[in-house]
Amino acid sequence: MALGNRRKNARGFDVPKLQITSMMDMFTIILIFLLTCYSDKPEVVHLEKDLRLPESVAQSDYQENIKLVLSRSNLWLEGEIVATVQDGEIVGLDPEKLNNSRLYQKLVAYRERADKGNLARPDKPGRPDKPDKPDKLDNQDKPEKKAQEHIIFLCDKNIPFHTINLVTKTAAMAGSPNFQFAVLKK
Amino acid sequence: MVSGLGKHKSETVEEIEIDLVPIMNTFLVLVPFLLLSAAFFHLKAIDTSVPVLADTQKDGQAAGPQEVKVTAVMEIKEKEILLSAISDSLGTEELSTWDTQIAKKGKEAEYPYQKVLVHLRKLKVRYPASDTLIIIPDGSILYDTIVQAMDAARYSDEKPLFPRVVLSGKVS
Repeated sequence: MALGNRRKNARGFDVPKLQITSMMDMFTIILIFLLTCYSDKPEVVHLEKDLRLPESVAQSDYQENIKLVLSRSNLWLEGEIVATVQDGEIVGLDPEKLNNSRLYQKLVAYRERADKGNLARPDKPGRPDKPDKPDKLDNQDKPEKKAQEHIIFLCDKNIPFHTINLVTKTAAMAGSPNFQFAVLKK
Repeated sequence: MVSGLGKHKSETVEEIEIDLVPIMNTFLVLVPFLLLSAAFFHLKAIDTSVPVLADTQKDGQAAGPQEVKVTAVMEIKEKEILLSAISDSLGTEELSTWDTQIAKKGKEAEYPYQKVLVHLRKLKVRYPASDTLIIIPDGSILYDTIVQAMDAARYSDEKPLFPRVVLSGKVS
């Protein structure tokens, strides 16, 4: 009936207003949820595609430390490939000469810097000349601070122990016998 | 006068409409960005270490069972789990009573962690000061199995059992 109202039609067409209040509510909830996810753990861990972590009932949170990742194809130390893995065996990690491996040398370099209190990373030779900024962000990134603590070890769940043992033994020889095994919460 | 004021009031009370479109636009950009970079898995950590050479300090010889610390040893083999205990304060005879063998029921079956838990619980009740477990897996044992064994031994009903785990290779 209202459509037939001549008086109303004479005023012209009213632009319909979209009710976006409920949509705003929805987006606000999603945004808060996502921001809470971020505040829970601000650090981003990049998991490799060929890395499947085991599940565990462990409750402890991991700490920001040196990251050692053993996937089905590579061994990574702080985002850098230090050895390759073939059929569950690490190529270039001789059980008899663990201290000749690249992993050992890299870890020793971290340890030496930890002992000396030098801020430079072993793979960034240009940095010692620069004055060190004692700010909070820089402190979090100090390799010497990290080397004194645990190594975060992310390992594929199908890697056999004899391979893991080589890695942990090498790390222990390099002065880092304590680990935090990263797992997925059950 | 009164009627004039009343008229003025009715004119000013108008519904104020906030323009929500720019806020919506911001949300539409923010939400997909956060969704793309969000991680929906919870990463946790198990503290462990590998054995290193250290100066050993002997526990008091006259200490009672409440103070005696024993170290539980779990050997994970292909078909079974061997449990034992070591301590500087106890004799071989007493320690050997804690030796046990828990076999898998089938080749593909899971290890009977419940039996492991019962045994470790008894050990913990007898020597409550104990907190260290040495896990010695065979070379072929997968990392997933080691983590499951750690789960079985570290906590029982959210109470610490043997929370300090040392992962060691077999010394031949």
